[in-house]
Amino acid sequence: MNILIPHTWLLEHLETNASPLEIQKLVSLCGPSIERIYDRDGESVYDIEVTTNRVDSMSVRGIAREVAVILNQFGIEAKLKPLKLPSLESLQPASKSANLPLPKITIETPNCHRVLGLVLSHIVRHPTPKYMADRLLQTDQNIHDAAIDITNYVTHELGHPCHAFDYDRIMELGGEIIIKEAAPGKKFTTLDGAEFTTVGGEIVFENISGQIIDLPSIKGALNTSVNAKTKNILFWIESLDPKKVRVASMTHAIRTVAAQLCEKQVDPHLADSVIAKGVQLFQELCDAKIASPVYDAFQTPRHPKAIKTPLKTISNYLGLTLPTSEIMAILTKLECEVGESSDHLSLSVTPPTFRHDLEIPADVVEEVARIYGYQNLPSQLMATAIPTLKPTDVNFDLEFKIKHNLADKGWQELYTYSLVSENLATESGHPASEHLKIANPLTDDKVYLRRSLLPSLLATAKEMLASTTGTRTIKVFELANKYVPSQKPTELPDEKLRLSFVSNQTYREVMGEITSLLNCLYRPDLNIQPDAANPDKALIKLTGEISKTQTLTKHKLGFIKKLATGWWGVTLAMNELVAAARSHPAYEPAAKNTGIIEDLTFTLPAQTPIGNVITTINQTVGWIKKVELKSQYQANFTFSLEYRSETENLTSEQLIPVRKKIVANLENKFQAKLVGKI
Amino acid sequence: MSIEPPQLLLSIQAQALIKSLSELQSEKFSGSVAEKKTQIFGKKGLFTQVSQLISEVNPTEKRLFGQWLNQIKTALELKLVTLSRQSTTQTSQDEEWIDWTMPGILPKTGHLHPVTHAIESITRIFEKIGFTRSRYPEVDWDWYAFEGLNMPANHPARDEWETFFVQTPPSSTKGKVVLTPHTSNGQVREMERLKSQPPIRMINIARCYRRQQDATHTQMFHQFEGLVVDKGINIQHLKGTLDYFAENFYGPGTKSRIRPFHFQFTEPSFEVDFSCHVCGGTGLIKDLEDPTGKRKCRFCKSGWHEVGGAGMVHPNVLKAGGIDPEKYTGFAFGWGVERTYTLKPGLQIDDIRLFYSGESSFLTQF
Repeated sequence: MNILIPHTWLLEHLETNASPLEIQKLVSLCGPSIERIYDRDGESVYDIEVTTNRVDSMSVRGIAREVAVILNQFGIEAKLKPLKLPSLESLQPASKSANLPLPKITIETPNCHRVLGLVLSHIVRHPTPKYMADRLLQTDQNIHDAAIDITNYVTHELGHPCHAFDYDRIMELGGEIIIKEAAPGKKFTTLDGAEFTTVGGEIVFENISGQIIDLPSIKGALNTSVNAKTKNILFWIESLDPKKVRVASMTHAIRTVAAQLCEKQVDPHLADSVIAKGVQLFQELCDAKIASPVYDAFQTPRHPKAIKTPLKTISNYLGLTLPTSEIMAILTKLECEVGESSDHLSLSVTPPTFRHDLEIPADVVEEVARIYGYQNLPSQLMATAIPTLKPTDVNFDLEFKIKHNLADKGWQELYTYSLVSENLATESGHPASEHLKIANPLTDDKVYLRRSLLPSLLATAKEMLASTTGTRTIKVFELANKYVPSQKPTELPDEKLRLSFVSNQTYREVMGEITSLLNCLYRPDLNIQPDAANPDKALIKLTGEISKTQTLTKHKLGFIKKLATGWWGVTLAMNELVAAARSHPAYEPAAKNTGIIEDLTFTLPAQTPIGNVITTINQTVGWIKKVELKSQYQANFTFSLEYRSETENLTSEQLIPVRKKIVANLENKFQAKLVGKI
Repeated sequence: MSIEPPQLLLSIQAQALIKSLSELQSEKFSGSVAEKKTQIFGKKGLFTQVSQLISEVNPTEKRLFGQWLNQIKTALELKLVTLSRQSTTQTSQDEEWIDWTMPGILPKTGHLHPVTHAIESITRIFEKIGFTRSRYPEVDWDWYAFEGLNMPANHPARDEWETFFVQTPPSSTKGKVVLTPHTSNGQVREMERLKSQPPIRMINIARCYRRQQDATHTQMFHQFEGLVVDKGINIQHLKGTLDYFAENFYGPGTKSRIRPFHFQFTEPSFEVDFSCHVCGGTGLIKDLEDPTGKRKCRFCKSGWHEVGGAGMVHPNVLKAGGIDPEKYTGFAFGWGVERTYTLKPGLQIDDIRLFYSGESSFLTQF
């Protein structure tokens, strides 16, 4: 959360000659981050980021406290000016005749920690004085008139929200304030005219008739708000359970400064100075008279617990030992009560009421370390043991190897969204109901966790083709998860890592790419098996062949699919690739004998599976080491055959019976006709 | 090179073949390479003839003869190819002019995505100092994403991570199913993987999701999370690790800086800055037009760039992972991959949505 603090306002609480730039630089190193210094009407205004655990810094005085301690640490003179305010007891009506009765206040919930209120009479609606108006504008707050602006001003200065009721309206509505948790279904209207209905449990103020007259710590109600006719004000502070305030504020989406401070446990002890200062300002600026004593029901004052902090803990975190006196000085300056144990081994640190965030020794360490200065700590790498137990089911090096290999061969890597629209989701072949769905999507094109990467890749590939002139070939890939709903409610969904490709190359080119990829993983045993259930799809398998006579169980890697006219999609399961990949080839020593390479051309009938022809040729005799499809012209297919014997140099004559057998086999099996003569 | 044929085969053909090889190898060869090739390897070529002699060789010599044939074949083929190439250049040399300015013909290459470049670089940097890379679920229980990280239900701190919830039954022990908004869900998981036994040095890199979309936020992005837990780990080690990363990722001389911040799962917590490469961390750059000789650096905030958060692991988080905070301490840091990457010199990409846009003009630059 951010707060704007004009420099001159800061100086009302802080005595220092440090410049705004100096303050920004040094405070940001040790405390809240001063992000920017604005120039507003010639004045420096700090824009400060305060972390959610430090609501005590969400005020001019809160920041002044921090700045004083930090500047001192850097040897710069800075002193927090004491607050010179009257005590609550001293705020009394001038005479008995000036008295106006306080409303009857009943607290019917344990979630109300403190209530403060007093009546101010004879309110004159003077305009807001210039200094106050300037400061409110500089801090991005609206100006109305003094009576309303005082509450905002005092909150910003001293850090606890406060409220001004129209006293007479409260009295007209029955003169009672009942603090309770609302029943559901009750209507109320906030002071800006917006209407709401309670959900039940919100802390509200009700009158004797059960009407809601305030949504405390969040926003005032229209029926008790200060208006043009207001003559008397009930100046009021309540401190409620932060969780209650947060739930009510979030449920009704009313996010005011008051709500944000209260949900973060702003210190109810700060209320004293807010009331005192507020009364002073009403007297000064609105001619107000105190018409009642201060009502103060402090149900649960804070009693911060002492935190026993071993000195060893502090030096363990810092990696060095600071003198105990220095540590104690820092904590004392931060308004902690510090005592040293008799054995000098630990400190007892009692934080001030406004530091609810200090609870454990690590919190104390943070205070000491940040004021000492993180910039003063040395920097060194740890010399501790290196873990050796790696996750077993992943191979990141292989992922990079594959990606580099693909990129080097012309593929473009994509990262597309895991969340897709309903249309893209169903393109996976699974209906929307079989997808994981987001309960609170931000946009309607990102609602389902996809079950396939291919639809997203295809959509992007088509856009790329359309948008890049000159390029005709598109080859894209992505390595990402697909998300499968779990069958068991006690288990998380399955995230399966997939390597998917989309390309508009020819089938042979795409298969060439996949074959090449598998070759770089030393798996030359690719096998394609058409999918019986889907004519547009074939399975990509590995046969695990080591030699022609020994075959391992066929190993499924993934599939290739015709996605649309001219577009092919391939998906490989990454875990299967990890299991199948080898780091080196199955080495074959150089041949000792000469071989013979020759071509044979056959005329084949239409729709003859060439792979099967090649397999048949291969299996004819052991001498055949390699068969490749060299070229194709219409129905004629030329195969290049390499023959080699382990034991002798083959001659052309020896091959004659082999050739005859090949020709016979192919004729029998495929009705192939040899072109030319053996 | 000289090859000795088996003593018994000093036939005329073999001799002729050896002579051919010598001829090719001499500097003086100037004939047609194609013709020579046919002469040696053609249907009636010298080599073909010689290889047919193998049938006349007695069985004990066959093996040796075969080996000799292979060797000389290889030598001849190699020489013919070399000569063939030279003769091409010879032709262009005859033209007496080489156009050195001719643009090259590039081989067709593709591109890795910039996020992959970033992740690879980050991985290698941390692996070099003994970190184990891991990848933890994107779809996770609330327990790992929040509660185990000292953020109970309804805690205001959760507001900062605008979380996506998955429509699926919650677990009675682990809460609702969410898309993790940060890689910090890996912290307790890593502790569990190692059975609550340090040493832990983890770098978890994964997709994260937040309900936000604008020029600096995409609904999906990447983060990397570091976690170190052992005996005696302190703030100095965090500083050391940050400095090490800064130097290796951004270049020598880059410094890191930590300032106070707040996360529920670390105590103390820090904001991490890296020094600006343009102004060297000073906030000022040379400006000859300015009387002071310097002007404010526009790339950074007073010499520094905010990269992300870090902190000492909160005792409650160690406990959630079954680790005794009295014995062990640790530090953690978690940053956006895209953000960290675009702080590199020359990579001022002002719209993060480009990373996931599929736009060629963007992707092909990497």
